[in-house]
Amino acid sequence: MADRAGPSDGRRHRRGRGLWLYTAMLLPGTAWMSIFFISALVVMVLLSFGTTDELGNPHFGTTLANISRILDGVYFTAILHSLVYAVCSSVICLVVSYPVAYVIARHGGRYKHALLGLLVAPFFANYLIRMYGWQTLLSDEGPLLNALHHMGVPSTFHLINTQGAVIAGLAYGYIIFMVLPLYAAMERMDPAIIEAGRDLYGSALRTFLTVTVPASSGGAYAGLALVFLPSVGDFVSNDLLGGPGTVMVGNLIQDKFFDGQDWPLGSALSLVLMVLLLLFLSAYVRHNARQAKEVQL
Amino acid sequence: MNSTPYTPTRRQVLTAGAGLGAAMALAGCGLGSDTGGAVKADRAVKAEVDGDLVYFNWADYLDPSVLKGFKKKYGVKIITSNYDSMESMQAKMSAGNRYDVIFPSAQWVEKLAAAGQLLRIDHSLVPNSTLIFDHYRTFADPWYDANSAHSIPFSMYKTGLAWRKDKLGDQLTGSWNDLWNRKAKKQTYLLDDRDEVLGMLALLLDFPLNTAKPAHLEAMVQKASTLRPYLRGFSSTDYRNLLSGNAWIQQTWSGDMAAVLNNADDPSIYGFESPKEGTPVNSDCYAIPANAAHPGTALLFINYLLEPENVIKNMQYIGYPMPVHGTEKAYEKIVADFPECKVTLSDLSDELYFDDGSVAQTRRRSDAWTSIKVG
Repeated sequence: MADRAGPSDGRRHRRGRGLWLYTAMLLPGTAWMSIFFISALVVMVLLSFGTTDELGNPHFGTTLANISRILDGVYFTAILHSLVYAVCSSVICLVVSYPVAYVIARHGGRYKHALLGLLVAPFFANYLIRMYGWQTLLSDEGPLLNALHHMGVPSTFHLINTQGAVIAGLAYGYIIFMVLPLYAAMERMDPAIIEAGRDLYGSALRTFLTVTVPASSGGAYAGLALVFLPSVGDFVSNDLLGGPGTVMVGNLIQDKFFDGQDWPLGSALSLVLMVLLLLFLSAYVRHNARQAKEVQL
Repeated sequence: MNSTPYTPTRRQVLTAGAGLGAAMALAGCGLGSDTGGAVKADRAVKAEVDGDLVYFNWADYLDPSVLKGFKKKYGVKIITSNYDSMESMQAKMSAGNRYDVIFPSAQWVEKLAAAGQLLRIDHSLVPNSTLIFDHYRTFADPWYDANSAHSIPFSMYKTGLAWRKDKLGDQLTGSWNDLWNRKAKKQTYLLDDRDEVLGMLALLLDFPLNTAKPAHLEAMVQKASTLRPYLRGFSSTDYRNLLSGNAWIQQTWSGDMAAVLNNADDPSIYGFESPKEGTPVNSDCYAIPANAAHPGTALLFINYLLEPENVIKNMQYIGYPMPVHGTEKAYEKIVADFPECKVTLSDLSDELYFDDGSVAQTRRRSDAWTSIKVG
């Protein structure tokens, strides 16, 4: 805090040129965000209260009908699916990524960056393409099921078009967003504190639980948020790997915009989803703030 | 001290951004309020070359050699664009893009004509159209376009059930109830199409095909829920599901069935039936947008495509029958082993056509469809 002289002090000395310059530098970014981000968002919010004509063209309006349609059951089932699948995939990502990030950060040595590069490489391929790959992999006559059948798994057992396939697809799709923050957190961790734990006669497990886990928890929380948020809104995984019982809210939104030609309802669904996610996000931010305060104390 | 930068407060930045964003959004408020401007749906057009043809269709929905023939005969270029759904076709037209010829489905002819987006077609300028209108009387005054004033039929199809004979047997009962087949548990697909699925349920329950009555819709949603234990998915790639072996029974379009049979290693393992409760019939059409830049070339193009030899080439290429007199035998040959794929005059006379209701009715049907999909 000490290095921040009260901003008003600084400003008093340098009105005029400096002020103008900094404002000018802000312009491009502000304009970009305003045009492409905020205005799109405003259109979406406004359209949530809109109507459609006979051709399916959207019109702005002031009706609450779209919001009230959503409150009617089935949409909530889809939102619930999305939330549950997103939580499951985030947890799977955490469980899978933690040891991976740990090994690379703590024992990767001079191969650290190469290993990280290898992990990132598959994600250069488009998400959609990777999901198509999974579709083939999991299909009834695909390699995985063929192998399982040979091992005696009954032929009525399917992988594709199940909840498990959707969750696995999501986890695979976004796992890199878990690995990277975890790696960053563990990489920053001072090995001396682990040694200190051992010096204080902590067992390996105890040291891990009381030293390593808390020190990397920031990365874990960031990873959970980064995986959870895009998973909730995802529709590709369910589209390609899901079945009739796994519709997610992203699918409904996509449906309303493309096939259903009901942009206002699609917008209203997006709005409801956004409000829900904002609630989650604010809980996350508040949790982080509280933790930061505890660390300072 | 001098180096302390000017930092606008968070509130200043947010206010400025939100203000600018709102201004941009409001500037864009014309969204969807004007579709096409002042176009005239009934201007006088002559059937003569008035420029290159701007062609807008599904991908692969005409034999390329026929297109080549037209270019050669009239010395024009064909500028091709494709759409992947009727909705995206409409969106691009509404955005102001100008096309000379489009291929909307019956339902979309109805919508676009009502919105004044289709040019009136004088049938005397398309002499070959008599091959349709004099022989297929349904199309002289079809359900979707009074007197075919804005459209000329292109292809016909109906919706039935395709199944795997090697898995489920050579004969089913010839009813939509065949979808509820224990042996096909988790190998059953419905089309991912609101009207087709609601239509099938309405036929089974003896309701009007396009019903939007809340009580009917409720019963249909209920009926659909009993199919869920068998259902593997909603998918309109009927063709792929059947060929890949994932589908043992699938609600299928007759033209796609013809394509499956042409592409299967062993076509004899597939069956196709037109359920006795009724099979919805549909038609894709030729139409000219009201704002077309070269409607004269478009008229010549439609007439050229209606030459029986070109019709036959196209039927062989896409697998769909066309209501053009003199081509019936050729189609029978294409589907010789699978006569169920034919769309007959009696299919047409059953009048099971999808139709759009009011915005409120469409909304109720959409909600029912969502309930069926989410379950």
